[in-house]
Amino acid sequence: MHPIIASNGPKDSCPDACSLRMTTRMLTRIKLALLLFFGFAFAFAVKGPGSTSEAQSTLDKKAVQTDYDKQVRPFLIRHCLACHGPEKTKGNLRLDRLGLDFATEANRQRWQLIQKRVQAGEMPPESKPRPGEKETQALAGWIGERVQLAEAARKAQGRVVLRRLNRVEYENTVRDLLGIEIELQELLPLDGSASGFDNVGEALHVSSFAMEKYLDAADRALSIAIANGPRPKLVKKRYSLKDQHHVKLSMESVYRKLGDTVVLFSSSPWNAVNLYQFYPPDRGKYRFRISASGMQSDGKPVTYRIDAGPMLMGTKSHLVGYFDAPADKPAVLEFTQHMEARSTIRILPYGLARAQEVHKIGADKYTGPGLSVEWVETEGPLHDTWPPESHRRIFGDLPQTPVRNRERFEVVSKDPEVDAQRILRTFARRAFRRTVTDDDIKPFLNLFKSRLAKKYTFEQAIRVGLLGVMISPEFLFLRERPGKLDDFALASRLSYSLWSTMPDEELLRLAEQKRLGDPKTLRLQVERMLKHPKAAAFTENFVGQWLGLRDLDATEPSHILYPEFDAMLNASMPKETYLFWDEILKNDLSVTNLVSSDFTMLNGRLAKHYGIPGAEGWAFKKVTLPKDSHRGGVLTMASVLKVTANGTYTSPILRGAWVLDRILGTPPPRPPEGVTAVEPDIRGATTIRQQLAKHRQVASCASCHARIDPPGFALESFDVIGGWRTHYRTTGNGKPVMLDGRRMPYFQGPKVDPADVMPDGQKFGDIDEFKKLLLKDKDQIARALTRRLVTYATGATVQNADQPQIEAIVGNIRDKNYGLRSLVHEIVQSELFRSK
Amino acid sequence: MKLNRRRFLRAAGVSLALPWLDALVPNGPCAAENSPPRRMVCICTPLGLHTPFLFPERAGMDYPLTPYLEVVREFRNDMTVISGLSHPEVGSSHDSIFSFLTAAPHPEIRGGFRNSISLDQFAAAQIGGETRFPSLTLSCEGFSLSWTRSGAIVPSDTSPARVFARLFLEGRPEEVQAQVRRLRDGQSILDTVQGQARTLRPGLGSADRDKLDEYFSSVRELERNLARAEEWSRRPKPRVNARPPVDIANAADLVGKARLMFDLIHLALQTDSTRLVTLLLLGTSSVPPIGGVSLGHHDLSHHGQDPGKIAQLRTIEMEKMRTFRAFLGKLKEAREQGANLLDRTTVFFSSNLGNASSHSSRNLPVFLAGGGFRHGQYLAFDPANPPPLSNLYVTMLQRLGISADQFGSSTGTLRGLEVNG
Repeated sequence: MHPIIASNGPKDSCPDACSLRMTTRMLTRIKLALLLFFGFAFAFAVKGPGSTSEAQSTLDKKAVQTDYDKQVRPFLIRHCLACHGPEKTKGNLRLDRLGLDFATEANRQRWQLIQKRVQAGEMPPESKPRPGEKETQALAGWIGERVQLAEAARKAQGRVVLRRLNRVEYENTVRDLLGIEIELQELLPLDGSASGFDNVGEALHVSSFAMEKYLDAADRALSIAIANGPRPKLVKKRYSLKDQHHVKLSMESVYRKLGDTVVLFSSSPWNAVNLYQFYPPDRGKYRFRISASGMQSDGKPVTYRIDAGPMLMGTKSHLVGYFDAPADKPAVLEFTQHMEARSTIRILPYGLARAQEVHKIGADKYTGPGLSVEWVETEGPLHDTWPPESHRRIFGDLPQTPVRNRERFEVVSKDPEVDAQRILRTFARRAFRRTVTDDDIKPFLNLFKSRLAKKYTFEQAIRVGLLGVMISPEFLFLRERPGKLDDFALASRLSYSLWSTMPDEELLRLAEQKRLGDPKTLRLQVERMLKHPKAAAFTENFVGQWLGLRDLDATEPSHILYPEFDAMLNASMPKETYLFWDEILKNDLSVTNLVSSDFTMLNGRLAKHYGIPGAEGWAFKKVTLPKDSHRGGVLTMASVLKVTANGTYTSPILRGAWVLDRILGTPPPRPPEGVTAVEPDIRGATTIRQQLAKHRQVASCASCHARIDPPGFALESFDVIGGWRTHYRTTGNGKPVMLDGRRMPYFQGPKVDPADVMPDGQKFGDIDEFKKLLLKDKDQIARALTRRLVTYATGATVQNADQPQIEAIVGNIRDKNYGLRSLVHEIVQSELFRSK
Repeated sequence: MKLNRRRFLRAAGVSLALPWLDALVPNGPCAAENSPPRRMVCICTPLGLHTPFLFPERAGMDYPLTPYLEVVREFRNDMTVISGLSHPEVGSSHDSIFSFLTAAPHPEIRGGFRNSISLDQFAAAQIGGETRFPSLTLSCEGFSLSWTRSGAIVPSDTSPARVFARLFLEGRPEEVQAQVRRLRDGQSILDTVQGQARTLRPGLGSADRDKLDEYFSSVRELERNLARAEEWSRRPKPRVNARPPVDIANAADLVGKARLMFDLIHLALQTDSTRLVTLLLLGTSSVPPIGGVSLGHHDLSHHGQDPGKIAQLRTIEMEKMRTFRAFLGKLKEAREQGANLLDRTTVFFSSNLGNASSHSSRNLPVFLAGGGFRHGQYLAFDPANPPPLSNLYVTMLQRLGISADQFGSSTGTLRGLEVNG
């Protein structure tokens, strides 16, 4: 049975007359915080650990139903269903179909709302007959009792539902478990998410399809971890770009050849140079060295991007990075990069002329800036040892012997059972993230033996056993027992929240010694973990989801309205936000910086985009913001401004609702069904404010939109790629726009009006004044972030019952200037984090 | 569902034989089938179709053609055009895609949403055992239309080349042998982890138990599937007179990608490799390589009544209609036991959005082609008070020979749709 999730707010707050409809995928995500829990048909009654009798739970369900039939249903029929039933469904709320499963918070909240409104005499409305005192009490009592029972059950069971590793965690875990580089995410089915995060247990499902993928993924990973051949030959070679076929065969005069040095003048994508002479047969780590400089660049560095991939039709490549070549004097760029077999790198200068501009003059006479590449050197595959570390991690020092045509090596054992026992035990301890016993190993040892009996070689048989471990629920799920977490579960919770991967040896050892639970140790570990490079996963996965930055590429800005948008700007956007977060976290700066700060992290591209001096090229640095920059805090970052728009236009409603939800933690109710969306008119006839003015005058709409619209209007000063604007850009009516002597493909439209009034009557004229108003309630900013962080760190939605603990955490950091690092420590030390 | 593996295989063995297909290179004697195989293809175009160019002014058999219907006019008597339908309690949003084939309520509120089984997987549980692949879940963009009973997404295949290889290309003997070994190992591994249920379950709360049960039933199901696959791996794959497709590099090429997928579906059905297919077409934010189109597909779908944008949108959708026409043509040309493949294949082509410009999930554009229905009409339901789309799904299930009288939010079968006698 599906509990019905019909209406979220007081039903009369948005009657059908309301003429607005918030739509788009983004907004629907926003609203999920409203329904703080899942529509799961959990068995209702849980008496805590040990009470697993399904018969008992069925009985309880029946009892609930009987009570409902006796005490509740008659009340609903008499007083409610005429307006909230199958015939009429006011406010999209049907009381006859409300879920009776109080374990689901959405249900609980809805029943509590009914309780509140009936007790307050607000419902049924005045025009209808009053229910009797006794009747009302019976209903309220029934609801109260059910809520209490459900909350007690949740407390006993733990708030966190058994969590499967999500795709990111799985990939990281397999990498760390085996010690290999491998991409597995794409192989696995998409994960669900709840409350904005894809590590919330309830949303993570398993299917036979997923299990098949897990088998496949584990098999691939083992094939890479185990070495079956001789050590691949280390090759070191120096190449000249003049020998690469793009340069050799180009019909356009865009490359200048100076001996072995080649100068690239064009930034047109098809003029990128692939290093096709390097196309190694072995995967592994390779060292690249590139000697390059900027030529004719007025003393400025020339930026270039490097991609890696197979570079064939239909294959994907990925960005290695943007790099700056200093003017005139060649400098050597060195980086190591994992390369798949048969792949290479590609070099493309950034921000130079287009192919035709260079071609019509000719590369030899062209006087504009270019990227001069002297040579490219490659060296690899780099292996510290052979067999590689990943192989030794499984097999230790067991010898290998050639098999078949002597090109393939396999591990052999003189004492298969003893060796298998040892191998599986070592492996399972790390895979299960806890101490393992002989009993834990037995099934996998038996699996191994059964393969040996089928004439498998030792290595083949052990592989099947290892696969078994990697398919086991103990590997795929984070096992936590109700109550306070034991040291192993704590180690996992810690490492999956801060690293998105399995605990390392130090954490495991501390857990084995039962020392991790000590608050001081815990504090030291959090410090150690945050300083570790793996903590980048915390920033990317938490901030990336909290602010929606994972969806940055979901829209492609219209090139007519936004011709200045380019790949480097796109790549710079999330980087600013992540580095900004890291800066706050590292220095324990106040979380209020997230709303308003006097600094940000910029590279040359973003600095140009924002019109702020002080950064050049690709490299990011901390920049103090000028007074009139209108930037500072995440709201005014290009990344956030892009993900809250759709590529063509901005909507104050969508952005406003986004701010309420993500930053203030007070998401607006779901818009009523059946009202049509307002679409800004990009032809330039009317502004969005004019279009929205109508609904602000309707009292029932205004009740929500008085909250939603102000932050949205404040952000109207920023366009869909986060540029500052005083006027809208249009494709139709408007003044022509000239920039750097060039006619832009868009027109200047109506003036932007970012001023508005907060629900409490405070006025603001622009984004700067708006931010100041937000800063008045620092607790609110801290509270909203704390709820998000706790959800992410524990893998479970924060419910009303958790609120007192959230408040306690907020109270503790208030005295520490709301420091972000302090907040992380407070959360880790809290009961919420340390219990299931 | 309890089924022991041996018994299952025995049952499966009876129906493993491939039916005779005229266009198929025969690969052995085939047992005659008592009843002709019935098939279903469900297609979703995620950014809708501009319905003013689709829905005729008048309902009934003699409906006047519209620009989009003009494209498929030669199939007028092989299809029914339906307007007005929608899923009740599926709100307007791109997220309505989650519920397109499941009808699960309120995907647009993410937080409280749990999906349910999709139409194809529901059917696969009943008739999927008769073919090498119980179903195919294809997608031009990665997301998938298919969901399991527990609400897990069925991963989609996005590479026509890989699917083609799986369906039709035989590996070298040692590859086949290795594959068989993998399948057997897989079964033993799953058998082993099955045993962990005993040690894990005690002490868990009910929510955790639900999760674990989902895991163990997935394990059991996969074990059965691998046994089946092992059985099939002993039989030669069907051979087809078609060149293996080459995957399309341009991520925005929605027409090219659709065409490859349609060709693949045609081959899969013709060789009876599967009888159930879902296909999610591409809705992209990039500019598709179509003459006269200069803006991204998603951008165009938000036309906001801009005539220039609507004109470009029309160009894209006309191309889309042409690929659909070619697909219907191929099915109709393929003969099978004296009938054509289209008559035995219910083709459902629709969208999760009725109006992408406002993200409305009401009044969906629906084509129902083939499957042996009495076609040729335009059924217009009142968009304000339509029967649930699931009613059509029940009709489609029954057409597959599945005696279902309920699916999703259905209240019956879809009225006005008759089967050819």
